[in-house]
Amino acid sequence: MKMKKWGVVAVAVAMVATLGLFGCGGGNDAKSDSGKTDAAQPEATEPTYIKEGTLTVLSSPDYPPFENLENGEIVGYEVDLFQAIANEMGLNLEIVPLQFDGIIPAIQAGGQGDVGVSGFSVDPERAQQIDFTESFYIDDQAVAVMNDSPITEENAAEELNQAGVIIAVQSGTTGEAYVQENFPNATVQPYGNGTDCFAAMQSGQANAVCTNLAVVKRMLADAYPDAHMVLQIATGEEYAAVVSKDNPALKEQLDAAIKKLDEDGTIAQLQDKWF
Amino acid sequence: MNTTATPNETSRFRSKGAWLARFGAFLLGILLLLSLIPAPAWALDTAKCTARPNGSTGSEVYGGSETRVTWEGLAGADEAITGLALTFPEGTTFSLDDARITLLTPDQSQRLGFIDADYTEDGETFIATFDEAAEPGGYFRVEIYGVYFPIGGGEMAINGSYTLADGSTVAVEDITPITVTGVSLVGQITSFLADQEWVQAWNSNRFLRMFFNPIIIVDSFPVVFQGFLMAVAIVAIAFPVAIPIGLCLSLMRMAKLRILRGIASLYVNVVRGTPLFLQIYIAFFGLPLAGLDIDKFPLGVIVLSMNSAAYLCEIFRAGIQSIPKGQNEAARSLGMNSAQTMIFVIIPQTIRRVIPTMTSEFILLYKDTSMLAAVGVMEVVMYAKTIVASTGSITPYIVAACFYLVITIPLAKIVGRLETRLAGEGRRRKHPPASGGKGVQGTDSAGVTAFVTDALTSQPVIKNTIDDDPVVAR
Repeated sequence: MKMKKWGVVAVAVAMVATLGLFGCGGGNDAKSDSGKTDAAQPEATEPTYIKEGTLTVLSSPDYPPFENLENGEIVGYEVDLFQAIANEMGLNLEIVPLQFDGIIPAIQAGGQGDVGVSGFSVDPERAQQIDFTESFYIDDQAVAVMNDSPITEENAAEELNQAGVIIAVQSGTTGEAYVQENFPNATVQPYGNGTDCFAAMQSGQANAVCTNLAVVKRMLADAYPDAHMVLQIATGEEYAAVVSKDNPALKEQLDAAIKKLDEDGTIAQLQDKWF
Repeated sequence: MNTTATPNETSRFRSKGAWLARFGAFLLGILLLLSLIPAPAWALDTAKCTARPNGSTGSEVYGGSETRVTWEGLAGADEAITGLALTFPEGTTFSLDDARITLLTPDQSQRLGFIDADYTEDGETFIATFDEAAEPGGYFRVEIYGVYFPIGGGEMAINGSYTLADGSTVAVEDITPITVTGVSLVGQITSFLADQEWVQAWNSNRFLRMFFNPIIIVDSFPVVFQGFLMAVAIVAIAFPVAIPIGLCLSLMRMAKLRILRGIASLYVNVVRGTPLFLQIYIAFFGLPLAGLDIDKFPLGVIVLSMNSAAYLCEIFRAGIQSIPKGQNEAARSLGMNSAQTMIFVIIPQTIRRVIPTMTSEFILLYKDTSMLAAVGVMEVVMYAKTIVASTGSITPYIVAACFYLVITIPLAKIVGRLETRLAGEGRRRKHPPASGGKGVQGTDSAGVTAFVTDALTSQPVIKNTIDDDPVVAR
């Protein structure tokens, strides 16, 4: 039948067109990519920036006190710290908000930001994809529940590891991995960002939230007075920023700046301010 | 014992009961003592021994993939530990890089510090030699990275021992074996692919690696497929539910009663005038606060069908209103009441006319299931997101896109077919059928001639020819 043939042709054309589109994208990407590395190779000691003279930071501003939105502005420990680092490096600071689980792919792909700063714990698995800078904070995991929950501080370790218990975590975080490893019987419920985890617990979609201690403390103090912490686990996660593996010079400069700020007491001062 | 027992007898029984109780207590005491004896006065009691899940989702630990083993134990009050060794089952490999020993308070809530140690390996044994003896009674956490369990999986029994300051070596008790799942078919394919030269060459291109990494395609396919089933289930329930609601709304919008019209148009305008994303947030985080506790899946279905009903309402309304007035007038003049006219004349014609638009709405609704990812419904995008988060590759999103396309492309093609047929049928039927079954025609406002029959009986309902059609005449 004629119509059938046309259908086949149409599908074929559509497929070719799609491939062509992807192909074009690929070509451009590869070109800009090779251009970048070409520019970087002759002077490997020079870091490359998305925007000249500006340190572009990708961050998920839902993680108080590390970074969150206050009156439309992103504030927090890591924001202040990277402002200090940018000053140290003689750069302007620009923070671009991005969902947490999109930051590492974005840094890896390049083009959106120079460095990812969003409470990243140093993790060898992550380190296969990106480079970590020197760490600038050590944090632990904590589990919070609503006050009317049957889970208490005494029975938390057992009660959380029960079938039917739903634990909200932020997708792609070490908290998610911790729950999967230590409470295998519970259901892990990942959300896009930290505030959604707490909203989900408050609305009864989840029984508990597992995330970093500093965040749990801040969330409970500021927004969730009717919830409390039942478990605190000193996992000792070192926080660091993530940098593309193609930009080792930037990592070196960031490391140097972090070391300097650590030595002159700025980091301790900022930690006093925020924690 | 019967009720006629003498007082003497009763007391005898009573004393016998007391003796039994005493004997029982004695036995229990012995048992308790026995249970205490095997526990030595000092021991590094294992609190836990786990491996980090290394699948794309879930809590399974797979053989042949990298994982991290965490062992924790509490030292006795008089044990100054100077070294630790953990022996893994044969075939396990691990890395000494990044290994870490942390000293914690017994409730694990506070960190006392990291222990400086030298790490060495001896076959399958991981050995940590502390630079100096640790404080007695500490709670230790040992983290070993880069652990690969054997591909076959099974119960991985781990043995351990520790060295005290006086040089004695004691075995670590009670290490629960780690359950390792054997490498699945998917795992075998991915490890096979990882060794292929063409895959390595393919992945050396950054673009191809980010978007079309064959290893991650294979790896994420079965996981994202679960989400696909979820999305299909949601839409397969939500859409049929939305159809009657939408039809009711459309009839309400055309009702004579002002209040009915008002309610329906308010609903349609509010739902169509706000983003679905927002509606999902309000339903998932707001409703439970208002005391309505609904499970994720039904709630997702409800939100999507309520949303879709508003769009379907407008589709149906347009469909019904596109039926020429003459149809209504003709039916009424044949003695049908308004309900009969609607059910037997108008709606059957409407259905055919709105099917292409409805199919498009179905496609939209199917794509909109992705928004439920934001509230943690495990559908296509949610699964893809979790893999993207753990691998840092965009490839799972491409796999997810394919799962949408397998539904949307064929459906879009069907819509196209239906539209052509609707248009084409009119053209064909303009010439009277050769056989005796004389067709009955009506022409709608778009100039498309449609066959007017009762959908249920296939009997001609109205007779009017193109010449005296009021719409054309107008």
